[in-house]
Order: sequence, then C-alpha cells, then structure tokens
Amino acid sequence: MPEVFIDGKRYEYDEEKDEMLLQFILDQGLEVPFFCYHPSMSIPANCRQCMVKVGTPVKDRETGEFELDEDGERKIRWFPKFQTSCSTRLQDGMVVLTQESSEEVARAQKDNLEFILINHPLDCPICDQAGECPLQIQTYKYGPEGSRFEVKKVHKPKHVDLGPRVTLDAERCINCTRCVRFTEEISETHQLTIVDRGDSNYPTTGPGETFDDPYSLNTVDICPVGALTSTDFRFKARVWEMNQTPSIDITNGKGCNIDLWTRDNEVLRITPRQNKEVNDYWMPDEGRKAYERFNENRVDRPYIKLDGDNQSNTSWNNAIETFAEVLESNNPGDITIIGSPHASVEENYVFNKFFNLLGTSNAKFTPHVIPGSGDGFLITDDQAPNTNGCRVIKLDETDEQSIKATVSAAKVVIILSDDLIGRDILSSSDLNDPYTISFATNNTETTKASDLVIPITCIAEHAASYVNVDGRIQRSYPAKETKYTNRRLNLEMSEGRLDRFGTNFDNWVSEENKVDCLPIWDFLNKLGDRLGLDFKYDHSREIFAELSNSLDILSDVSYERMDEEKGVQLPIKQEEVKA
Amino acid sequence: MAQDWKSFEPLLIPDIPNLERIDVYEENGGYDALKKILKDQDKWSRKSVVEEVKQANIRGRGGAGFNAGLKWSFMPDPDGGPRYLACNGDESEPGTFKDRKIFEFNPHLFIEGALIASYAMTVDTIYVYIRGEYISWVDMFQKAVDDAYEKGYLGENILGTDISIDLEITYGAGAYICGEETAMLESLEGKRGYPRTKPPFPAQNGLWGRPTTINNIETLANVPLVINNGADWYGDIGSEEHPGPVLYGISGHVNKPGVYEYPTGVPVLDLINDVAGGIRGGKDLKAIIPGGSSTPPLRADQLDGVTMNSDSLKDVGSMMGTAGMVVMDEDTDMVDVLWRIAHFYHHESCGQCTPCREGTGWLEKVLKKIKDGEGEMKDLDLLLDVGNQMEGRTICALADAAVWPVRHTINRFRDEFEARCKKSVHAIA
Repeated sequence: MPEVFIDGKRYEYDEEKDEMLLQFILDQGLEVPFFCYHPSMSIPANCRQCMVKVGTPVKDRETGEFELDEDGERKIRWFPKFQTSCSTRLQDGMVVLTQESSEEVARAQKDNLEFILINHPLDCPICDQAGECPLQIQTYKYGPEGSRFEVKKVHKPKHVDLGPRVTLDAERCINCTRCVRFTEEISETHQLTIVDRGDSNYPTTGPGETFDDPYSLNTVDICPVGALTSTDFRFKARVWEMNQTPSIDITNGKGCNIDLWTRDNEVLRITPRQNKEVNDYWMPDEGRKAYERFNENRVDRPYIKLDGDNQSNTSWNNAIETFAEVLESNNPGDITIIGSPHASVEENYVFNKFFNLLGTSNAKFTPHVIPGSGDGFLITDDQAPNTNGCRVIKLDETDEQSIKATVSAAKVVIILSDDLIGRDILSSSDLNDPYTISFATNNTETTKASDLVIPITCIAEHAASYVNVDGRIQRSYPAKETKYTNRRLNLEMSEGRLDRFGTNFDNWVSEENKVDCLPIWDFLNKLGDRLGLDFKYDHSREIFAELSNSLDILSDVSYERMDEEKGVQLPIKQEEVKA
Repeated sequence: MAQDWKSFEPLLIPDIPNLERIDVYEENGGYDALKKILKDQDKWSRKSVVEEVKQANIRGRGGAGFNAGLKWSFMPDPDGGPRYLACNGDESEPGTFKDRKIFEFNPHLFIEGALIASYAMTVDTIYVYIRGEYISWVDMFQKAVDDAYEKGYLGENILGTDISIDLEITYGAGAYICGEETAMLESLEGKRGYPRTKPPFPAQNGLWGRPTTINNIETLANVPLVINNGADWYGDIGSEEHPGPVLYGISGHVNKPGVYEYPTGVPVLDLINDVAGGIRGGKDLKAIIPGGSSTPPLRADQLDGVTMNSDSLKDVGSMMGTAGMVVMDEDTDMVDVLWRIAHFYHHESCGQCTPCREGTGWLEKVLKKIKDGEGEMKDLDLLLDVGNQMEGRTICALADAAVWPVRHTINRFRDEFEARCKKSVHAIA
C-alpha cells in the first residue's frame, strides 16, 4: 500500500481512489480549515485556507531507492511554497505538516484568515449564519486574535433579492464561488456568476435575470458565510435555539434525506442531510417549503358532521364511539378502505390490517404521479413519498376510474391521508352518499367533505418508514411533540438547548404548537378496544418488526439497519413494478 | 558583451520603410526562414527546429525570461487532436509598450515566428491575444494576417505543403490579469479571466483541455532570426546568458522616451543618457524601474556598471522583466510612485484568491494613508508584513508582482517613507 505521513503519523491510502490530500485528511478524522472546497464540486483552490507544508522523499535516480540522511531518515524535498491541500494529489511517501505540527503552517493559515476578515463586516450578532458559520468557527480556532486593519472596509450591495428565495449580502461574501459552481455543475442553470473584480467582486445573476433555480436554496446551505440567506428563514431563529431531527422529504418520490429544524414544536426550516445514495448534499427548494404543512392548517382534534355540511370539533371518545357505531352498523362488504402513497408503510399496514380484521377487502391505493413534472435529478414525476411502500405491503393498486367506481358502490368509505378530491379523482358529490371517514394530518378538500375526520400525526411527529421511487426504504424520527407526547420521555426525540434548560413557563413556550392528534396505530388501538379486537401496537417499531417477519422483501430490514446505513435498498425498482 | 552596441543594426524593427507591407517584407528576406524549413523538412525536422531555438536560448520577453525552446519541448507528442499556440500580446504591465511596435512596424516577422513555432510543435491553430486598448493595432495586425492568408503563408496547405495552420486574433477588455498566461487561456475560451491552478500546466492541459504553448509576441519575433542565422550567431548578440536583440521601452523623466532596439546587456546609464537623451531638464537621476512596474526599483547609486540583462540586474536585486524601463528624476516622490503602483495592482487583482484580493487593497489603503500625511511608523512594518503574507500563497504571480515593488521601494527609500510618517498627524506619539 502507498503511504503518506501526516504530522509524523503514517497513513496508508488507496491509489485507485485518486484522492486529494484535503479529502484524505478529512476522511482520517483530522482537520485542516477550508472554505471553497466542496467534495461534490470542482476544486478552484481559491480561498487558500487549507495551506499545508508538503514534501516528497528524494529518490536515487539510478536505483530508485529513497536517499537517506546521516540519521538514516529519508531525505525530504520540501515544496518551496505552501500547498493548498485541496488541490494536492497524494503521492507515495509524501510528508505533510499541518497546523497541528508546524507553526509556520499555523501562521500562514492565520494570515489568510486575517485577509478574509479585513473586508468582512463582522456582523455575527445579526447574521443568520452565526452558530453554523465555517468562517466564525474557523476564525475562533485558527484565526488571529485581533485585526491590524485600520483603514476603511470595502462596501458592496446588501440585502439584494437574487431571486424569489435567496437574499444576498455581498459584503459578507468571501468569494469562495461555491454558489457559482453549484449552478454550473450541480443544478446546471448557470444563473450565478462573479461580477466586478478584486476586493469588490461578488456573486450575482446576469442583468435582469432572477435566481429562480429550482435548487437555489442549496447555495444558502453551502455558503460558508452569511452572504446567501434564505429569504423565508431570515431572522426567524438562531441556530442554537433549534433542534435538528433527521427525516425524509415527502414532497416527491425521491425521498431526499433532510433535517427538520424545530423550536418550540414548530418546524422552522428544512435542510438536506447528506446521503450519497439518494440526494448527496442537495434537495429541491419545493421540499423545503413543506415545513409549513407541519405547522399550519392541521387537523386539530376530531371533526364530525352533525348537521348537514357543517363540521364541528368533537371529543376523542365521541369520535371513537361514532366510528365504532358506523363499523358495527354496516356490512364489511359495504366498507371501502383507501390507503395512501402519501402515508408511511406502517400507517398503511395497520390501517389495512385493522379493517381486514373486521372483514373488509384489501385497501386500494392510487399512485399520485404527474408525468413530466420530474427533472431526472431530485424532482420526480411521483408526487408521493411512499408509492413503492404501498406496493411492498401489497395494497391493491388501482387507477383513478376504479377508485371512483368503488367509492360510489360503497356505503362507508375510509380514506387514509390522501386528498382524493384535491387530486381530482373524486368530486365532493361522490362522497355525499357514503359515510366518509378520513384519517388526515391537514385540512383538505377531502376532509371538508368527510363526515368524520380523525387527526393523525404527520412525518414530523412519528417514526415511520417510506420507500422511495428507487426502492430505498428510509425512516423518519419524531421532531415535534403532539398533545400526547413528551420530548423528555421519548428517547427518539432530540432535545435542543431551550428544551433542556427552559421550563414550560418560559414565555417562548406555546402549547398551541402541539397538535391534538394521534399516531394512527394509537387511535386504532383505542378503536380496537371498543370493538373488542385483538389489536395492539405500542410503537411503529413493533409494526415494522411484524412486517419484517411476514414479508420476505423486508426480512433483513429493521429500524436499526436503516439508521446505520441511512436507509436500505430493497430489491425493487419502480420500472420493474410498472412492467 | 561587445562594446559596440551603439553600432547595432535593429533586427526586430529594422529601419526599412513600409516593412509592415507583405511585399516589402518579402523583398527584404521575409518568410525566408519559413520557406527554408518547409522546403527541407528532412533537415529541418520539427525536433531540430525546437533544438535550434532551445540552443539559441531566446529568453521569454514577457517578463519571466524562460528559454522559449525549452518551453516548446514540454509539449507532449501529437495524438491527432488539436494543439494550440497562444500568443500573448496583452502587454498591460505599466511601463511596457513594445509589442505594439511589432504589430505596427513588423507584423510579418512575428507571424513568421509563430508559424515556425507552430510547425515545430505541430500546432494547427494560433491565437493572438491583444489588449483591448490596442484596438487600432488590432486593425493593423488584422491587415497583415489577411495578407499572409492571401499569399498562402497561413491557411490550408501552406506553401504547397500538407501543413495547415490558422491564425485568429482576439482582444481583451482591459484587464491586466488577462496577460497572465492561464487567465489569458480562460479569456480566450470566453470565460472570466481567472488564472488557473497549476498543475496541470498548459502544455498538458491548456486551451479547451488541449496541449497549448503560450509565448510573448516579441519572443516569437526572434525566432526567424535564429532560423535564418543560426543559434550560434544569435547567441553572440548581447550578453551571454540572455542573448538577442531587445525592444527597450524607456519612459518617464527622459528627454526622448520611446521604444529602442538594442542587444541585451546595454549599461543602464547609457540607455538613459545616450539613447533616451538624458534626464529631462538636466536634473539628476533618482531611481529606475528596470522592466515594468512589478520589477523592484533601483536607486541611482545602485546603477554603476549595471547592464540590462538578467544576471547583472539580479546581482543588484532586480529583474529584466519586459525591459520597459521607467526613469525617475530627483524630484520624484517615491511614496507617491509606490502608492500609484499599489493602486494599479489593487485595481487589477482579479479577486479569485484571498491573499491577493484582500492584500492588494490593504497595501493601497495603507500607502494612501501615508501619502496623505496620516501614516505612522508601524504602517511601514505592516506593509512589509502584509506583503510577506501574500507572496507565494496565491494561484498566480500577480500578488508577487504587487508585493515586490512595495517591499523594495520601502527598503531602498525607507528614509523617505519614514520622513513622511514622522511628519504625519499621528507622529506625536
């Protein structure tokens, strides 16, 4: 194996990976400061922050043997200048000194940070990036203590709306060109470029152009300073006030890995979470907007129609009683149940199983696909996160016409989390005759037309799994509390600074943010009790374990494995299922 | 070198009327070198042309002074794909204005040199990059290129051989950085003129990722002289380690500023007094900048016996650069001069990499402060320190070029800078 020596320690490397020194250093868990380098984009070596001292061993030209000095150590020929480790290719025998072992290198990195900071506004107290800012972090670690810059800073445009979603503060920009490279190499819209030159340059769009790239907000994530900020999220919350919970994007079928950022049980923003197999470091802007649906327009407490078309809130007891009476007074053959590609594997499974126990036929579902709306990258034609999950648990896949036909023939229709009216599959008159019960997270056209609406938890409130268009099963974690959960008692929920050190009497705490809803299995437990069914699941983990035991395709899949491997690829492809 | 530099007959821009016309050029032995090579390709194989030029030791006239033939030999073997020669006529270094004389008075000599270089390196396309401010020279040179195409020196099947070479003229938009060789390649590709990180070097990965050699205009104009007369003859002109004729661009406080062609190795003081007619108004000499604004300035008392060739200038702590000499008389304010130079580099830094983008501005602002009488003694050390933080840590050499004049002007004229700081409003402490 070829070898390199970093700060006196020997490391072996794989020649075939053709790696650069900086990436190799990072892979070893070591650190060298950097700003412009990004593992998924080209290497411009323009920030000059990752400078290290590099040497190669001297070889005898004739024998090819290493030349040794008097002490028997290899003679090293040092490069006359510091090398940017991001752009230095590994070489067998290479000797590297980083800031850890070389004062010279530490000084050079400090010098460079001094340069970066002289025209930076240093407005961290009012900057959204503070707390997650590579410039701030690395300045504290490697930067100078003060500044010798006593002349006037350069002024550049501030709060520029580059597009509908991204705001630029050019003074904070350190010209790493990550955003420009993103639009050139990843989203390929070429909407950003650097204008002007020298210390007055900054990134912007062409004259008259707007930065409306469907992936534009990724530039905010990769911006190593607060130059590009999300227009929507700006000034809403400090990073350290929020909890960060891993989850899955539910706005389309790709299942981008994301983080939900919550404060006081409100989801405030969504950012991508790296997963090489799915979305790398990126996600579409559309998926970030989904945070609103976790907070707003939620079904809060059960609704019931008592007089004509007017719905009113009712108690859980009344909802269960009414539900039970409807089931008891109807022949199972007259009850149609409709599952949903918008709901998780576990929800669909218990939903189907519960009513099957009563004797209904298998749940139907209809995929939510808009042909041509995908882009071949991270936006798919499939509008739902779990179409393949419905297939895995063998719900009846039907087209839109037959759903309509079944509904019109039924006396009771039970719908799981799917806005069939909003999707133009049913019209509200189709639901006039049958007694309609909806399990729903949000108010929709369909819940409005329903006779009974049972509020259930959304992806931000429960742990559940979803199978994406490529057949990869991935799961979510609860990020916000409901009326019936408690962050401190739920081991899967993360606790932020405010959760840990605040009290319920702090003025930022609002009980209103907790939705009065239940995971569907909890509700079905209660309904099962009332009906005398043998049906009980305490946690979605139990549901998944049961699925794993009964379905070959999931036999070696578990929550633990999904956690460890960031999801598990199942042996299915959407194309194969279709064919 | 020979003492008879005064009797030297110009070779690059000889005193022949209308030499820019192709018929006049041909009458005076023009394109003979090219014909000689193409007619006898067995004797003048591509390799032997490279060898001859390497032997002649034409040191690059763009400032770096690298052996042109050696540079040519870095090109990899042809693989059938396109290969390029990019000719750098961007000359934007303050004090430098020599290449435009070639475009104006002897363009065919350069075209012939570029053709020989293209033959030697199996290049099929020549790009000539001319600075945007030279728009009239672009037109003049375009005429020469059109004539050369018409006469069959350029284009398909040159002089009846199976060799085809095209030449295209491009011009910049006024950015100094586009004279940096890899920034010029980016600009030629139609991109923002940002220098590239090296390696890979242009010979491996140049224009559109293909092998490319970059030469200065004056450098290539020397090539036909070598082919016509031989490497030995060329090596005898001027000083030994840095031979050949040079276009000296003399500007500043002299009576007769202009471009003068003499061999390398002419004594600096002779150039000022004999060639350029001495200092304006009979004043004393204070300093010179020998080869463009980035080369370290020299005090008058450093110039005894110094000649214009790389070794002699190196001995006194400067460089030959582009041989664009700026002469300054006793009344010159060195603080002002240095501020003006720093202003230039601040304005021209492309902003791609940190030390140069931020450092050039810092240097200028501190110098402005000193110039305006608000400097402090600690500012002088700060300037030197900032310079040390910039040098050798950037992608291209612009930062180095910005730092050298600052460092050496302060070191060589420190008393002047100190006097200014001591008189300043902050000097009480």
